[in-house]
Amino acid sequence: MKSHDSWSPPPAGFPTLFRLVGGVTAACALLVAAPALAETTLVSATSTTLFRIGHGDFQDSKNIDTAYEYLRLSVSRSFKDGDSLSLLAGGWLRGDLADKSANDRFTDADLQYGYLSYQRGRNNQVLNAGRQLVTEGVATERMDGLYLRSDLPAGFGAALFLGSPVVTEPNFKADNLVFGGRFTHTQANYYTLGVSALKSYQDSTRYREEEGIDLWLHPVRGVDVTGRSSYNSITEGWMEHSYRASYTPLTQLRLFANLDSINYRDYFFRVTTSALSFTNRLIDPNEKMLALGGGASFAPTDSLTVSADYRHYDYDIAGAADYYGGKLGFANPKYLSCGVAVHRMDGAADRLRYLEYRAYAAKSIGKADLALDLIDVRYDSTLATNQVKDAFTASAAVTYRWSDQLSFGGDLDYSHNPDFDNEVRGLLKLSYAFEAKRAAEGGAK
Amino acid sequence: MKRNNLIPMVVLGLVVQLLYACAGTTSIARVHPEPVQGLVDCAQCHTDRWANLNHRAPDFLAKHGVWGGTRAACASCHQESFCADCHAHKDDLKPSDKYKDAPERALPHRGDYLNQHKIDGRIDPASCLKCHGRQNNEGCKRCHR
Ligand code: HEC
Ligand code: HEC
Ligand code: HEC
Ligand code: HEC
Ligand code: HEC
Repeated sequence: MKSHDSWSPPPAGFPTLFRLVGGVTAACALLVAAPALAETTLVSATSTTLFRIGHGDFQDSKNIDTAYEYLRLSVSRSFKDGDSLSLLAGGWLRGDLADKSANDRFTDADLQYGYLSYQRGRNNQVLNAGRQLVTEGVATERMDGLYLRSDLPAGFGAALFLGSPVVTEPNFKADNLVFGGRFTHTQANYYTLGVSALKSYQDSTRYREEEGIDLWLHPVRGVDVTGRSSYNSITEGWMEHSYRASYTPLTQLRLFANLDSINYRDYFFRVTTSALSFTNRLIDPNEKMLALGGGASFAPTDSLTVSADYRHYDYDIAGAADYYGGKLGFANPKYLSCGVAVHRMDGAADRLRYLEYRAYAAKSIGKADLALDLIDVRYDSTLATNQVKDAFTASAAVTYRWSDQLSFGGDLDYSHNPDFDNEVRGLLKLSYAFEAKRAAEGGAK
Repeated sequence: MKRNNLIPMVVLGLVVQLLYACAGTTSIARVHPEPVQGLVDCAQCHTDRWANLNHRAPDFLAKHGVWGGTRAACASCHQESFCADCHAHKDDLKPSDKYKDAPERALPHRGDYLNQHKIDGRIDPASCLKCHGRQNNEGCKRCHR
């Protein structure tokens, strides 16, 4: 059922399928073995079935009646010494009931993650093997491989990873080996500082080489700074500086500011999608962006929040732009959440001058959850020949919670904009959650 | 091939044992001790560093990436599937389409995104790369060859 191209290219001598099958077999074996040590075993699985009805995204498009099945599985066994071993996997299957929706195929499938994780009760030690998302400083990578992390003495910590990057590569052939790591120092009351590096190869060619520093500072109560700078040592330039600070002088008030600086030549190096590569001239390698922003939010009660935000974009080549607005939100997760927001974009091109409105509400009535969402973007001038000056979308959703395990519902979506006249789409959704727990003797908790 | 896999495993195992002997911290709780629902303000219960991770803050989404460097903390409430909804590898459905019933969430791409992406992609294409640069880009090929 799994078509070949839904996998990343297996590196030589390391066939992915074998690795995955091997991993799963090993996982099951390990989970079944060692019953004597086991305290509890927790199995949980969720299945979400979706039917999408209506037209596709394009003017020339066909009828897209598509069924999706998202499956998620977690089997986890905890041991008496606080260690645990888990198998985690998630993926989807697609079947087209009418026309082919994508890639000239009627069916498709993908494994989004699938790994075995051994976690120790001490030192935050983790060993993961399989397909996983690694988030360590410069690396936000999905890979098939091994990941290891541990606390070291005196507040230090280290993480290492090695594997084959999972990339979808419609336009360019990509790398097939990636490795790297991150070294941190943490003072739980004040900060976490990290240095990280990532290297990747396409066969024997250096493909990506990135180094970075990251920080999370919270020196006094209410002050929080996060940030990262990353350097591309193949293009020999800084890719990005991205810093965000917030200050909460009172529990009700929060002030925040952020800075992002991007050098396109270094940042967009070796992407595998043409939309974001230098080849189709949408992205200019000589461009540099500096975005500065900030805002405030005020929460007079636990549920009510008023906020205002502002962001200024500056470029070396393109004209500058400003984006600002405000939002009023109410949230009480048990019965009602709603909000209204208005934003203005003021930029150098026609496309970048508009007002954006949004209003939404979600309410629970008994076992039913209702949601309504309205979005309207009003351009200052017409963008297309059809004189349409705004892009409007309305969507309504209903979910019925039959039991803790089973829920079902659907939504309807209407939109009109400069590209499409009137478009209506629907989606039906059925979710089933399964959970089972087995506690060994004396393991009651 | 099996042997190739085995050697690094054994080496890693030894490294783990070595480290185990040195440091002495208790791992972050595997399951968050208190159940929470919806976008939570962690400061309602926490005064330690976790108080900063107020999920309702307007800048939460912009900041969660760095906090994600302490994955064990996220994992006490979130399974990897939660991250994969937005950080997709090769998906067909927009995150906002999967959860139309949660309009309060900051899910990417509300509304008709094929229209809006021309604006967002022009203003800050670097912000797209995080999800569409090397993954989740099959759909783009249909128009951007
Ligand atoms: C309803 C109260 C409550 C809320 C809300 C809450 N927590 Fe907790 N949390 C606790 C309690 C109680 C503990 C256990 C005591 C402790 O470690 O502080 C805990 C423990 C933790 C731990 C484990 C600490 C360790 O070293 O084992 C983490 C991480 C954590 N919370 C993160 C968060 C984050 C992030 C949020 C917001 C998204 C949050 N918590 C919201 C009550 C809460
Ligand atoms: C609601 C959608 C959403 C979910 C769910 C989500 N993320 Fe993100 N993530 C984003 C967006 C959007 C960005 C880009 C934010 C920015 O820099 O402004 C991002 C950025 C990141 C980054 C930084 C990437 C980079 O290259 O700078 C990391 C790391 C990350 N997320 C980790 C996680 C983890 C771990 C989880 C699960 C606990 C998670 N995310 C869940 C939307 C999401
Ligand atoms: C105490 C439990 C708890 C902890 C710990 C926690 N979260 Fe969350 N998080 C939640 C809940 C609950 C939601 C709401 C999910 C929903 O509505 O379906 C959420 C939502 C999110 C979202 C989506 C926000 C949106 O607007 O859609 C992101 C992104 C996220 N968390 C990232 C993280 C990251 C990264 C960490 C670790 C640094 C983390 N969370 C730790 C409970 C937690
Ligand atoms: C947090 C991750 C994330 C970020 C950041 C992100 N996207 Fe997406 N995007 C997705 C996911 C997941 C999908 C659904 C899968 C798909 O259609 O490829 C998607 C879908 C799309 C689609 C197809 C929409 C449709 O209706 O079929 C477009 C176009 C798009 N994104 C453009 C962008 C642009 C431009 C940016 C930057 C401004 C961006 N995205 C940033 C995750 C992200
Ligand atoms: C339905 C066709 C279509 C699809 C699918 C599509 N795009 Fe676009 N995209 C366009 C059009 C048309 C423009 C406007 C181009 C112009 O102004 O020259 C555009 C503009 C952009 C821009 C802004 C370029 C600029 O500087 O003006 C980016 C970035 C972008 N797209 C990224 C993506 C990504 C990433 C995806 C896939 C997730 C995607 N697009 C999918 C049609 C599409």
